[in-house]
Amino acid sequence: MRTLSYLLRESWVNMRTNRTTTMVAILTTAFTLACVGIFLLLYVNLRAAAGWLQDDIRIMVYLDDRLASDSVAEVEQQLRGDRAVASLLFISKEQALGEFKAQFPSESHLLEGLGQNPLPASFVVALSPSFRSPDAVKRWADRVRQVVGVSKVDYNQDWIDALATVIRSIELVAIGIGVILSAAAATIIANTIRLTLFARRDEIAILRLIGATTGFIRIPYLLEGAVLGALGSALSLVMLKFMYELFRQQMRTTGRFAGLDNLMAFFPPSVCLALIAVGMGLGVAGSFVSIRRFGEAKA
Amino acid sequence: MIQLIHVSKQYDRKPALSDVTLEIGKGEFVLLMGPSGAGKSTLLRMLIGAERPDEGQIFVHQKNVTTLKPSDIPYLRRKVGTVFQDFRLLPKKSVFDNVALPLLVQGISSADIRRKVTEALRAVGIEHKRDQLPAGLSTGEQQRVCIARAIVNGPVVLLADEPTGNLDPALTAEIIELFKLINARGTTVVVATHDPLVKAQVNRRVLTLSQGRLLPEERVMV
Repeated sequence: MRTLSYLLRESWVNMRTNRTTTMVAILTTAFTLACVGIFLLLYVNLRAAAGWLQDDIRIMVYLDDRLASDSVAEVEQQLRGDRAVASLLFISKEQALGEFKAQFPSESHLLEGLGQNPLPASFVVALSPSFRSPDAVKRWADRVRQVVGVSKVDYNQDWIDALATVIRSIELVAIGIGVILSAAAATIIANTIRLTLFARRDEIAILRLIGATTGFIRIPYLLEGAVLGALGSALSLVMLKFMYELFRQQMRTTGRFAGLDNLMAFFPPSVCLALIAVGMGLGVAGSFVSIRRFGEAKA
Repeated sequence: MIQLIHVSKQYDRKPALSDVTLEIGKGEFVLLMGPSGAGKSTLLRMLIGAERPDEGQIFVHQKNVTTLKPSDIPYLRRKVGTVFQDFRLLPKKSVFDNVALPLLVQGISSADIRRKVTEALRAVGIEHKRDQLPAGLSTGEQQRVCIARAIVNGPVVLLADEPTGNLDPALTAEIIELFKLINARGTTVVVATHDPLVKAQVNRRVLTLSQGRLLPEERVMV
């Protein structure tokens, strides 16, 4: 118990003695990790958006204009029997025309000029959750295209795919930047610990001579690294949350993206804790590197 | 207790110790004498595993120090107390905390630490200064704290490297008396010194090193 309190006290003394260096290390770590956090937040939100879009996907199954009503019923029967189909809504030619006129009142004269209703009847299909992946949707659409009486199958997969490509790019950039900046954060902490080690080299030498094990000598410095990393990471989350709220506020007041701000999300508490743990890990790693270089294992 | 067999060590091709063979028995009080650079400190450092010989074998308390793994060296050092000329006390820690350090690194309970530190401080006659910082002590008192730290563990061997180097003759006599007391309790004591005053006061077995070589021994009967 006394040993534990000694080790904790030593870590605290280390940080208090080098107050300025400690503060600078925490701040620079926080800024570095906040940069990583921005990409991570962007990535998480875009992925969530892509997920919603994918979940919300509606497939238009257009029917052949010459199809008799009993054949329409047959197609409907077939679709209803498909286990991939979660819900089905029939839109007759007349309903399609009505919707077009309602949505584009100024353009409705174009269709009136044609004499007859050119819009086909269709089914609006929503797929079951397990069939909503881009590949599954594509496979289903290809299969339904073969059904007799179906003239066209349409869905907005193209731009969902484009979004997926953007997300993949951001993912790569986030990983690249994350690795580089995490290494930078670990190096900052490593240098701080090196200063502490240098300041306390006489004490370390005495500890060695009186029979302290390598572990005993290392623990206060590893704890210091862990605390610096965790505090830096926690501070980066505070900074990110502040920027995030500011951004949301901006979106709300601009009006242009009204509603979109409600779809945005910050990291859930579990991810926040994981990020603090990552910061702590980086701190311990940085500290470990410094201790090894300092060579406290030597006599 | 201590055995060196044909031990040699060089620094930058200059011999620090050359073919030294010696044996120190349990409970002996031995003076290791010789001028500066004779190899006394090198020998003491080898006994605690801080240096490895280029050749030869070293045994301390039945452990072969030359083949000891780095991770086992701390456990050897817990059996061997060390006293230095420059005391090597932690300036920001009280006398009590300085003496408690060897026990703390072993994870000994608070109650045992209190008891053992009090005993050690009493043994060196400095119990009343337990809460002071080293800077507030005289050099003689600082050396006493250093000795208390070295014996608090109940070591089997006490090594002292020029322990009276910073002390006047009166204080030197006091410190030598302390070593004699510690030795009388059964601890093997090895004192490295170049001070003839110490030799006169100790009047025990003397090992003399000259340019890294052990000279023929002069044994003094007590």
